[in-house]
Amino acid sequence: MLTFVIRTAWKKLWTLFFVSIISFGVIHLAPGSPSQIDPLNPRFTREQLQRYRAAFDLDRPLPVQYSRFYWKLFTGELRSFKDNQPVLPKIWGRALNSLPLFLVSTVVVWCYAFPLGIAAAVRRNSTFDKLTTVLVFALISIPGFYLSDLAINFVVQRLQVDVFGLETFGRRSLGWLPWLMDRAWHLVLPSVLGAAGGIAVLSRYVRSQMLEVVSSDYVRTARAKGLPEDGVLYDHALANALLPFVTMFGLLLPGLIGGSVIFETIFAWPGIGRLGYEAILNRDYPVVVSLGFLAAVLTLIGTLISDLLYMVVDPRIRL
Amino acid sequence: MAGAVETAGLAALPRVARRSLSPGRLAWRVFLKNRPAVAGMAVVVAFLALALGGLALTKGESPVLDPREVRLPDKLRPPLARPSPAVPAESRPSLGIYFLGTDELGRDVFARMIEGTFVSMSVGFVAVGIAVLIGCILGGIAGHYGRARLPAPAWIVGGGGLAVLVATGVAVQRGAGRSDVALWGALGVLMLGTGVAGMLLRRPFALTTDTVIAGLIDVMLCFPTFFLILTVIAVLKPSIWNIMIVIGLTNWEGTARFVRAEILSLREQEFVQAATAMGVPGPRTIRRHLLPNAVAPVLVSATLGIAGAILTESALSFLGFGVPPPDATWGNIIADGRKYLRVAPWLTLVPGTAIFVLVLAFNLFGEGLREAFNPKLREG
Repeated sequence: MLTFVIRTAWKKLWTLFFVSIISFGVIHLAPGSPSQIDPLNPRFTREQLQRYRAAFDLDRPLPVQYSRFYWKLFTGELRSFKDNQPVLPKIWGRALNSLPLFLVSTVVVWCYAFPLGIAAAVRRNSTFDKLTTVLVFALISIPGFYLSDLAINFVVQRLQVDVFGLETFGRRSLGWLPWLMDRAWHLVLPSVLGAAGGIAVLSRYVRSQMLEVVSSDYVRTARAKGLPEDGVLYDHALANALLPFVTMFGLLLPGLIGGSVIFETIFAWPGIGRLGYEAILNRDYPVVVSLGFLAAVLTLIGTLISDLLYMVVDPRIRL
Repeated sequence: MAGAVETAGLAALPRVARRSLSPGRLAWRVFLKNRPAVAGMAVVVAFLALALGGLALTKGESPVLDPREVRLPDKLRPPLARPSPAVPAESRPSLGIYFLGTDELGRDVFARMIEGTFVSMSVGFVAVGIAVLIGCILGGIAGHYGRARLPAPAWIVGGGGLAVLVATGVAVQRGAGRSDVALWGALGVLMLGTGVAGMLLRRPFALTTDTVIAGLIDVMLCFPTFFLILTVIAVLKPSIWNIMIVIGLTNWEGTARFVRAEILSLREQEFVQAATAMGVPGPRTIRRHLLPNAVAPVLVSATLGIAGAILTESALSFLGFGVPPPDATWGNIIADGRKYLRVAPWLTLVPGTAIFVLVLAFNLFGEGLREAFNPKLREG
C-alpha cells in the first residue's frame, strides 16, 4: 500500500515536470523578439517589450529562463505588470474571493445531481426519466452567459435588487446582519447559474453509472435471491455505482480556477477567474502564465488525492 | 436444377438475415426507438442543409441575402419590420421585410444568422475533426503498439539523472546562481530516483508507448481547457482558424482514451491476429481493421464534441476573443447583441435559440448513439 502511494506520487512529480515545461512554453508563444514589434499595434510598445524581457529573463539561455521563472514565482520576485504586486499573494487574495462561490455551487451541484441521476436511472424510460433527460440537456445546451443575462434582467427588473459583485455598495455600515444577508444574496445567482451546467453533466454521469451497475451480474444475483427491490438498488447497486464519484472530490479543486471565468465576468465577481480574464486583456503575462501553471498544479494535486481516495475505497486497486 | 436451388436459397436469405443482425444494425434499431435522439438527428441534418444552402445564398458578389449590407436608417428594427423609405431600393432585403429584424448597423439579422450557421458549424466540425484525428492517431498507437518498450532501461534514466546533477554542479562552480539551476537539480534528483528505483525493484521498467501517451494525456488534462484556449487565443490573435485549431488541440484526450480502450479489446480478436499473421503492417492494421471497428465511441464523442465546440466559440465571443468580424457566427451575433438586451431582445433571442436548439440536438443525437452502441446501457 505504501509502495502504491509512493509510486503514484512519484508519477505525479514527473507529470509536474512536464506541466511546468508547457506552462513555461506559453511565455514563448507571446511576441518576444524585437523584430515582432508591430508599429501599428499600440498594445505592445518597446517599453513593454523591455519589461517583458526583464520579467522572464528572455536574454538568458533557455534552461536558465526556465529555472528562473519558477524561482521568481515562488520567491515573490515575479510581479504583476499592472500594479507591481507579487503574483502569488495577488492570486491568493482573489482565490479567497472565489472560495465561497465555489463552495456554494459545488454543494448545490452535488445535492441535486445525485438524487436526480439515481432517480432517473431507477425509473428508466419513465416519463420522469425522459423529462429530466430533456431538461438536463437543455441546461447543458444553453450558453451560460445568455442564461445569466436573462436571469439578471429578470431579477433586476422584477425585484429591483442588486446582483453584481460581492456586496451592495454601502451595505457594510448597516450592521453585520444586513451585511451578511447581502453577501449571501449576492452568492445566490452566480452560484446557482454556475451550478446549472454542473448538475446537468454530473447527473448524466450518475445515471449512466447507475444503469451500468444495475445490469451487472451481482445485482441480478441479489434479485434472484429474492431481496426486496429497494434493498437491491440502494444497498447493493448504489454503493458500487457511487464508487467512481469518490474520485471527483479530488477533481473538484481545479474548478476553482478554470470553470469560473464566464460567471465571474458576468457578475463582476472579483475572483480568480475574472483575475485571469483581466490579466489576459491587460497583457499581464506574469499573472496569466502563473495562473495557468497553478491551475495545472491544483489539478495534479486533485488527481493525486482522488487516486489515493480510490485506493481507500476500492481494495482492488491496492494490488 | 442448379438455378432453382439458387433462387430458393436466395428467397430463404432474408429470414436468416433478420434473425442475426450485425452489431451495427442492432445499434441502429435501438437508436431509432429513442425518439429524442432521432429528433436530434433530424434537427442536425436540417441545420446542415441550412448551412450549405446559406453558404450559397450569402456568398458572392451580389448574394440573395446580404449579411454585410449596412443600412443606417434601419437600425434595430424589430422582426418582420418593413424597410423604411430612406433605404435605397438596391439595398433592401430580397424578402421585402426584415424577417428577424436588424442589428445596430441595420444589417439583416436573418441574413447574418444564415451566414453564421455555416461559420458556426464549420468551427464545430473542423475543431472536432482535428481533435478526432489526433485522438485516433494517438489512441491507435497507444492501443496497438502499447506494449512496445522504449529503449530506456533504468540505468540510462539513472545515469542521465546523475549527468544532470553533475552538470548542475559544474554550472554552480562556474558562478551560476541558485535561481538559475534550482529546477535542474530537482530534475536530476527525479531522474536519479526513478532510475535507482527501477534498478532496485528489478521490475520491468514501465516506459512503453502506452505510458508515454497516457502521460501526455495526463499532462494535457491538467490544464483547464477553457482558460488554456483563452490564453492561447489572446496571445496569438483571434482568427477563425486559430480558434478551430486551438479548440481541436485541447479536446482530443477523450477520443484518444476511447480509441485506445476499444483497440485494446479488439487487438486480441481473431481477425486482427489473422491480419498480423498475414504480415499486414501495423499502421495498415490500425487503419483498415482496428479503427473502423472502434468507430462507435469516436462518433459519440465527436457528436458531443461539436456541441461543445459551438458553445466554446460563443463563450469566446462573449469574452471578446471570438471569430472577428466581418465573419458572422452565432457566437458573435449574440455577444454583440448583449448591449441591446432591453431595447432589441431579438438580437440575442434569435442566436441564443439557434445555439440552444442545435447544441441540444447534437447532445441528444450523441447521447442516443452512446446508448445504442453500449449494450450495458441498453434495456434488457
